Order: sequence, then C-alpha cells, then structure tokens
Amino acid sequence: MNKLKSAFVAGLLVAASSLPSHAETKIEVLHHWVSESEVAALNVIRNALAEKGYGWQDSAVGGMSGANAQQALRTRLAAGNPPAAMQFLGYEGLDWASEGVLRNMNDMATANGWQKAIAPQVLPFVESNDGFFAVPINMHRQNWVWANKKVFDKVGIEQPQSWEELIADGKKLKDAGIIPLAIGDEPWQIQVVFDSLVADIGGPEFYKKAMVDLDDEVLSSDTMKHIFDTLREVRGLVDDRFNGRDWAVATGMVINGQAAMQVMGDWAKGEFLAKGLKPDTDFLCFATPSKTPSFLFLIDSFGMFYINDENVTKGQDALAQVIMDPKVQRDFNKIKGSIPARSDVSVDDFDACARKGFQERTEAINDGAMLGAATHGFASQPQFAGVFGDVAARFFVTEMSSDEAVEMLVDGIDNAR
Amino acid sequence: MFRNTHLTDRLAKWLPRLVLTPSMVMVLVGVYLFMVWTGWISLSSSRMVPHYDFVGLEQYIRLWSTPRWHTAVINLFLFSFLFLAITVGTGLIIAILLDQNIRAEGALRAVYLYPMSLSFIVTGTAWKWILNPDLGIEKVVRSLGWESFVFDWITRPNFAIYTIVIAAVWQSSGFAMAIFLAGLRGIDNSVIKAAQIEGASLPKIYRSIIIPMLRPAFLSVIVLLSYIAIKNFDLVLAMTNGGPGSATEVPSTFMFSATFRRNQMGVGAASAIMMLMTVAAIIIPYLYSELKESRHAD
Repeated sequence: MNKLKSAFVAGLLVAASSLPSHAETKIEVLHHWVSESEVAALNVIRNALAEKGYGWQDSAVGGMSGANAQQALRTRLAAGNPPAAMQFLGYEGLDWASEGVLRNMNDMATANGWQKAIAPQVLPFVESNDGFFAVPINMHRQNWVWANKKVFDKVGIEQPQSWEELIADGKKLKDAGIIPLAIGDEPWQIQVVFDSLVADIGGPEFYKKAMVDLDDEVLSSDTMKHIFDTLREVRGLVDDRFNGRDWAVATGMVINGQAAMQVMGDWAKGEFLAKGLKPDTDFLCFATPSKTPSFLFLIDSFGMFYINDENVTKGQDALAQVIMDPKVQRDFNKIKGSIPARSDVSVDDFDACARKGFQERTEAINDGAMLGAATHGFASQPQFAGVFGDVAARFFVTEMSSDEAVEMLVDGIDNAR
Repeated sequence: MFRNTHLTDRLAKWLPRLVLTPSMVMVLVGVYLFMVWTGWISLSSSRMVPHYDFVGLEQYIRLWSTPRWHTAVINLFLFSFLFLAITVGTGLIIAILLDQNIRAEGALRAVYLYPMSLSFIVTGTAWKWILNPDLGIEKVVRSLGWESFVFDWITRPNFAIYTIVIAAVWQSSGFAMAIFLAGLRGIDNSVIKAAQIEGASLPKIYRSIIIPMLRPAFLSVIVLLSYIAIKNFDLVLAMTNGGPGSATEVPSTFMFSATFRRNQMGVGAASAIMMLMTVAAIIIPYLYSELKESRHAD
C-alpha cells in the first residue's frame, strides 16, 4: 500500500514537472510577413519549432515595409511587454541591441559555428562588439534585372553588359513600341535603380565610400554627377504613367510584354513563377550590368528580447537553433524566393535564378563586391538612406540638373548627421 | 424628507462635474499631456527611442534645413488655402441653390452630403484611379473622340498637389453645404420679405443681408475645414503616397516618416510642434475675434 502510494506520488511529480514546461510554452514572434508565400515559408519555422516542443504565437503586423511592426514594437517595449522574438531589417537589430534590450546569443553562436557559416559582410547586421544579437534566415539580392525573353528575342537584343548598352537597347525597344523599363514613382523603387548605378558605375570601393562612409568628397565627385546623368538617361526609358505604380504592377508589365525590363530585388521572381513562367525560357534574370557585378544584399533576421521567464528563454534558444538549421533555411528560402543566409547550404534544387544568385554571391564575396543594399537600410542608418531616396526620387521626377542633385545630396546628408 | 432634498440638491450640483470628469481627464492626458511631451521630445536628441536630454533648438534647425520639409510647408499652405476657398465657395452656392424651394430637395441634399460618409482612404483611392491618365478622365475623353485631350496633373510634380485639392473638395463640399443650409433655414423670412418690399434684387439681398447673417456658419465651416486640411494624411497617402518623388509631401506625412521610418523622432516632434503652432496662429485669433463679437452682441 505504502509502495503503491509513493509510486503514485512519484508519478504525479514526474507528470507535473514534465507537462507544463514544454508543450505549453509559446514563443511570440513579431514580424511583418503577411503575404501568402511569406506565411507558407514561416510555417517551415513554425513546424520545426513544434518538433522541439515549443508553440509559435504569431504576431503579424503588416504594412509600410515593416514600419508598422516597428511601431508596434516600440509601443510594446515602452509598456515593458516585449515579444519573445522580432524580425529585423537593416540596422534595426543593431539599434535595439545598443539599447540593451536584446539577448546575447554568443554562446550558441560559438558552439554551433554560426560566425563561419555566414558571409563576413553580413556579420555587422547580426553581431556587435558585445556578441551575436540576431539570427539571419534569408538573403535577397536587390540589384537584379528581370526581363521578358520573348520581347528581347523579338527586338533582337541580348543581356546588356553595361548601362550604356542597356540604355542603347532601350532606344531599340522604344522604336518597337515597348516600354524599356517598368518602374513606379515611389522613392524606394527609384532608389533601387540608383543603388545599382552607384555600385555598377562607381565600383564597390566607391559604393562603400558613398553609401556607407557618406564621404562628402565622394558624394560631390564627378563620378556621382555621372551617375545622376545616367539616372536621367534611365528616366528616358520609363513611360510617363508611372505615378502610384506598385512594384508588382511594374513586374506585371514585364510579364505581359508591355515593358521589357524591371530593376528589382528577387522578390519579383515570385510574380513570374506564380504565372507559371520558367527562368531562361520565358524570362531572364541577370545582375544589373557592370564590369564587376555586385551583389547588393539584404537579410531578414530575428532577435530575441530579454524576458524574465526561463521557459521563454529556452524557447528562444530553440527558435534561434531552428532558424540557423541548414535544412530549415533551405526549405524556408525555397518557398520565400530568397537564398539561405548561411553560405554553406546546398541550393542545387532551387530555381535557376536562385542558383545564379547563390553562385554570383560567392564571386562577389571574392571580388569584394558583396555590399549592403542601401535602399533597404543595409548601408547606412535610415535617416541617411532616406536622403538618398529623397534626392534620387526628386531628380527622377523633375528636371533637376545633376549638379543640383549632388549639392542637395551633400546638404541633406550633412543635415541628417 | 428635508435630508433627502438636500442630497438631491447636492447631487444636482455635483452630477455635471462628476459626469464631465472622466472625459476631462482623458482629454488632459491624451491631448494636452502628450502635447507637452512632444514639445519636450522636440528639444531632445531623440532618434529611435525617446531620450530625455536637452539640445535646445537643434532639431528645429535641422527641420528647417530639410528641403522636403519646405515642400511640405508650401504644400500645406497651397492645399489649405485652395481647399478652404473652393469648398466654402461650392458649399455656399449649392446651399443657396438648394434653398430656392426646389423639388426633391431632400434627395439632392443626401446626394451632396454622401461623399462625407466615405473615409479619405476610399476617396483617395477612387480619385487616384479617376485621375490616372490611363484609366480615368483622360482616357474617357479621348475615347469620346478628343484625341489630344490631356489631364495628367497627378503625374506631374508641380500639379499633383492640386489633384489632392480636387478630391478633398469633392468630399467636403457637401458638409459645408449642410452647415450653410442650416444657417439659411435659420434666417427669418420676414427680413427677406422686407428687403423685397424695399425693392432690393435677389442677388443684392444675398450679398448684403443673407451672407453676412451666415457668419456663425462660416465660423463653424472654416474651423472644421482647416483642421481637416492640417490633419490631411490619409488622403495624400492613398492618392499619391507623397509622390511623384516627394512632390505632395505634407507636414503630417513628413512627421510620420521622420518619427517612424527614419529614426528622427526629435525632428518628427519638432515638425509636430510646428504644425500645432500653425494651427494655433490661425485659429486662436479667429476664435478670439468671433467670440468677442458674439459676446458684445449679447
């Protein structure tokens, strides 16, 4: 009787200790991925986290390219109730880490060799002097040209090797009644073209000095003026009806042959694939033309906030491990259309454009041409990146001269310091 | 018995205050406290999160040397002036025409007032399409045979702000009309009859008697419309999103992007205070003069 009783009590204790800690703990993740493919990609992480015994509490705040989610985070932090994890773009993670609200994941990073698995150019966005503060899941390339192959064949043009060639091709396309370049008037869309021009015409070193170091001399140099002059020529490739045109609408114009090309990040690929089009046969993807093709990257990463609950902390560790899991990175990125943030994941079963991007990333790392995409906040802080967008967009839609543009750029950067 | 009356009396005395207190506290905290807080932030070095230090007027200097802010301020004045003038004008004309004892007045009034029930987001999206040269007015007129017709203001940086005026006027004219109409109905018919007997023509009656008598209605319309003009944010966002380029930026969109997108909370707060001061500079003297006069009239 006594034995039975103690066995019963022991059983209860085991049950009590094992039950609540795992299955009940939910990890709240604040993010701005709300589109269908993004949610499907997130399910890869969610399922992998469930296998480790933790639930995923979804806090999606969509809209304004993540600005709404950032606003939500500010409110939550001010109220002393941060989410367990948060999606970061650009310097957001670093900024929060320096506010001292993010957990240091250095132990896990060292134990699992994360530093070595990530390209050194990416490290500044996930690691500070104090250690690892965020885990990167994916990488997009911003400087792609997406082209309609049928249109190219009809007009008899090939992939251009320089911006001069691209502009010359544009004239042929115009004569054939096709809009050479599809774009909208939103500052960031124009800035995507501007970033590419800076990297392609100025070269990687120039890009670093201009967009990262914000060097006054470089910003007002003749090369910069030449870049603006080229942007003026690119304006000539665009129709006059580009106001309020969403990037996806512009991609649609390339898909239906109304326009020939679009300069856009690889999220545009999803639009082609969704229509059942095949890379290389129906549409072309190639880097913006340059002697040393650059790879302007942006990553999404997740940081973990300090929360005074041991179970949540364990769950955060599990989430970080899941995100850095090579298999999760492969499955996630296949759905999302990006490539893994880890450089050591095989992408053999990805589509042709992703494989090309992965290959060119290795080359760009060797050439020193792997650079942070300025438009998406991976070159300078948002207050500076915004100035580039203001000037490029204003230049693009008005008749401003390149001298004026350069002057406005230098003043604007100075003012934002 | 005596005690009871006493209690009711006291309750009657305290009840209004008791009922007003919660809303009073909410307004004090939600409006005035945060106005002060914003003013404080505008004097600090805040970037991504609030920092409570003191840097003097640095953020204001930064604000006023930003070209985008100049665009925003010019746009605000252009927009407010045109929006107020045109809306008051159309509202008054429609109200006067509706006041001529016409048939189906109720139905017509509803038609004119209906745009007010839409949110600015809906108005903005609809007008974005109507004004789009490839979809809207320009295309319709061209397909009717006038091939050279051009109406592409929304695509031109120097004209885009006027398209926002068009949409805002469309939405708010009915509202101005309703207030003017109520004012017109409040005017004693005998005044008009007396003027007619004196031999005054109808336009003259309106110009010299009726419109001056509508003064209180003008006050309400102008105050309400100017605050619609200054808080204008959603309409710009829906119609042009500040574009082309940043040609239709207004102070409210500037404030939002500085505070929440560019890590310039201090500059954002400074721009908010500038907006507040602009409103105060226009509204306070107007209210003051109007209220003073009405007190004299009493």
